[in-house]
Amino acid sequence: MTDVLFLAWRYLAHYRVKTVILVASIALIVFLPVGLNVLVGQSAEQLTARAEATPLLVGAMGSPLELVLSSLYFESDVPDAIAWAEVEAIEDSGLAQPIPLDARFRARTHPIVGTSLEYFDFRGLRLAEGRRMAVVGECVLGARAAADLAVGAGDTVLSSPESLFDLAGVYPLRMRVVGVFAASHTPDDQVVFVDVKTSWIIQGLGHGHQDLAAAGAAAAVLKQEGDLITANASVVQYNEITPENIDSFHFHGDLSEYPLTGVIAVPHDDKSGVLLMGRFERPEVATQIVRPATVMTELLDTIFTVRAYVVAAIGFAGAGTLATAALVFLLSLRLREREIETIVKIGGSPARVAAILVSEIVVVLVLGAAFAGVLAVLASRYGSEAIRMWITS
Amino acid sequence: MSGWGPIVAAIAGLVGLAFALACEPGEAERPPGTEASARDERLRVFAVAYPLQYFAERIGGDAVDVRFPIPTGIDPAEWSPSAEVVAEYQAADLVLLNGGGYAQWLERASLSRRRLVDTSVGFRKRQLRDSGGVQHAHGPEGEHAHAGVAPMTWLDPELAIAQARAVADALITVRPSAAVHFESGFAALERDLRGLERRFAVAAQELGGAPLFFSHPVYPYFIRAYDLNARSLHWEPQEVPTEAMWAEFRDALAEHPARWMLWEAAPESASKALLERLGVRSHVFDPCARPSESGDYLDRMRRNAEEFESLEVNRPPPSSVE
Repeated sequence: MTDVLFLAWRYLAHYRVKTVILVASIALIVFLPVGLNVLVGQSAEQLTARAEATPLLVGAMGSPLELVLSSLYFESDVPDAIAWAEVEAIEDSGLAQPIPLDARFRARTHPIVGTSLEYFDFRGLRLAEGRRMAVVGECVLGARAAADLAVGAGDTVLSSPESLFDLAGVYPLRMRVVGVFAASHTPDDQVVFVDVKTSWIIQGLGHGHQDLAAAGAAAAVLKQEGDLITANASVVQYNEITPENIDSFHFHGDLSEYPLTGVIAVPHDDKSGVLLMGRFERPEVATQIVRPATVMTELLDTIFTVRAYVVAAIGFAGAGTLATAALVFLLSLRLREREIETIVKIGGSPARVAAILVSEIVVVLVLGAAFAGVLAVLASRYGSEAIRMWITS
Repeated sequence: MSGWGPIVAAIAGLVGLAFALACEPGEAERPPGTEASARDERLRVFAVAYPLQYFAERIGGDAVDVRFPIPTGIDPAEWSPSAEVVAEYQAADLVLLNGGGYAQWLERASLSRRRLVDTSVGFRKRQLRDSGGVQHAHGPEGEHAHAGVAPMTWLDPELAIAQARAVADALITVRPSAAVHFESGFAALERDLRGLERRFAVAAQELGGAPLFFSHPVYPYFIRAYDLNARSLHWEPQEVPTEAMWAEFRDALAEHPARWMLWEAAPESASKALLERLGVRSHVFDPCARPSESGDYLDRMRRNAEEFESLEVNRPPPSSVE
């Protein structure tokens, strides 16, 4: 038996180019459907992992998909606003921990997300440098945002105006970078995180200005009647929050009406989650609560229907490749007639000749399958990271 | 047999590579005793007002490390901690709030809501409005003032007990295993505060609605608690009032013939003398808003009680009242 395998191996080694092509063809045709399944599965897993990790999401009535894409991936249009009162209502319910989100502004191409410190613990974000924001006007950057904007702790980032031509609109706010998160390979890497109150300041709902009662502010006073001082248009409003002017920053009106784009609700247990969802079923409620995992699964189900067709096509291509390989073997038998005759003349039985030929086929198939296995393991081991990097790039 | 070597080596290499790649690295084990050692640590509690620091220290004892990191000589009402100090607050297990807008810097700070304990949440409807600030108008929102709720709730012992109860409940929630210890600390504190309450009540009763002045509008809870016939000025003890302020005071005195003025701290001797000339005696009633070398909250409130009792000439000595 050893001599049979030796002769088969020597033949394959002699025609190494043909052997390599055959092995590569078989490896690819075995790997493609397996690898496609692995990569598609991992892509779906990556996309749904964030949704799975976000138990419930509260937002304005409208498209659940838009709400999920906006709140989890910071993509899509800005959904309609809901009030801060939703955060207080969820907290007061005792059913879940609310995490506010206000993702409506950008610093160049990077989303500015107003939230609370709980978000960082919830997402498991770790600092690579600096600290988390402590006061309004400070921001912490995701790894990719810091790299793209070429800033680190101690630098500043400017919010982008909503419209270049809206002169009466929101003024940009210069924010101090106090920390940078380590790469998480999630959409959080792209984000400029601020306290939700900073987001409201960018929106113009909170502001700081010179003290109108101070002697130096006389030029900014239009009129004064008793305790009422009316400022004119020249009143100095600050577009950067510094230790010197931070005390002048304040918010007007009822804070419970301040806007958010969404609220992540982390129920204390499954039952609390169901009860909380039940509260949003009432017709008079103007907000919606969604399970992001369900929304994303529906989306992915639609998108990945095409996968079945792709796998079927690869199956046909594979059958064709195997038929071609078989043809190559059969044709090679004709070319090897003299070689086979020589083996017979020196005493090789027909069975031994057949064994040599079968051994050649088996070795090629085994090597092809082994390479396909290695590729599949590589795909399953590193494909996930590659997809994450691709998704967050 | 030498021809077999490459085949065996290739297959073994592939299988070995596949096996090595398939093997996930094991998750690092948690160091033993981590949770136990975390449990053994003292609770780190930060307060935004000195009386809350005192309450937490009394209730928590050795089980808590309580801090109110205000620099010496700074008025808590005007204190705004730096971002670095706010970061220390972020690291606390609990942050004790006085509620009602006290410590306005909280409006501009990023603190975890889970760790915030509003100690006045139990009596929100009993909170009093502050006198407010200067109104101003600019922009589309029109005129507005940055007024809030009167802050010094702890000057009413009844409200102080409610705040202390909120502190005790928060500590028990965070560390239920020390509930007995915390309840014991609260009970002792409550006894002391009840004693104060009785002394103030008796003294107020003996005062019988006699008019008096407070130099500053920081005592509304105390005034309400004992139904005092009091008016508040806006004088600072370290400043001698101007002529205009004296004129205003004389007018007020004509309407409200008080014999006593209660100050936040010992007034300037000139102010004291001028008041004496008008028949108004000066007394110090410490609002206890900041730490002091003169004693803790209870010591200073007891001195306040002595001062308050001294307003009535024919009153019994404090020891016989308590």
